[in-house]
Amino acid sequence: MSRLDDELRQALRREEPPPGFAGRVLARVESAERGRRWWAWPRLSWAAALAATLLLTAGIEFQHQRHVRAEGERAKEQVMLALRITGSKLQFVKEKIHAMDTGR
Amino acid sequence: MVFSIAYHFLHDRALAEEIAQEVFLQLYKHLGSLESPAHVLYWLRRTTSNRCIDCVRRRKLAPQVTLDAVPEPVAADPGPGDPILSRRLQQLVASLPEKQRMVVVLRYQEDLEPEEIARILHMPVGTVKSQLQRSLAMLRDKVTRTMGVVNL
Repeated sequence: MSRLDDELRQALRREEPPPGFAGRVLARVESAERGRRWWAWPRLSWAAALAATLLLTAGIEFQHQRHVRAEGERAKEQVMLALRITGSKLQFVKEKIHAMDTGR
Repeated sequence: MVFSIAYHFLHDRALAEEIAQEVFLQLYKHLGSLESPAHVLYWLRRTTSNRCIDCVRRRKLAPQVTLDAVPEPVAADPGPGDPILSRRLQQLVASLPEKQRMVVVLRYQEDLEPEEIARILHMPVGTVKSQLQRSLAMLRDKVTRTMGVVNL
């Protein structure tokens, strides 16, 4: 190995980066990450908006179905009441006719 | 390593840091595709070399010091490891043509064999060896003539 080889190794030995270098690299990486996330934000908000719409729609539908069921229950009760009234009236009429027949 | 390669190539600390930051930012983006520590090392040397060479070509930087521009006082033969001789060698290396310069930096800073340098710089091994020989001859000649250094 020549003297020039040794001198070149000495002259070109590794230099340390300036103080704070690692911090500056990390800051750039974080900045790049923020930029990437910001770029993805509109897609994220659309997905969120879609999910919210779906939930809202499902909620409204659920409420509607509950209302329909409740209405149905009320209608059913009214029919039953009507039938009971009709039934009792029929029974009254039946008893009256029977009384008339046995009264002869 | 990255900063040091850039610094010895460009002989400009601010520019060397800029290049080094870009390289590490690229490393962060490509980390998933790197398979081993050896691969990372190879990738860092190759990317740093390419960016340094591109930087010089883009900016069309003139050499920091042209070989004959600044006359050196003729001095007694400096001893081994002399800081003035080191400084002069750094300047002379920084004034070499880009590819030759990077060959010298990878050889003497990173202690790489010509075959590894050839892989990093995508050059034939024969070309690396001849460029190394030419660079050493030029450096030896300049240092001897301008600094009176003998037995180099």
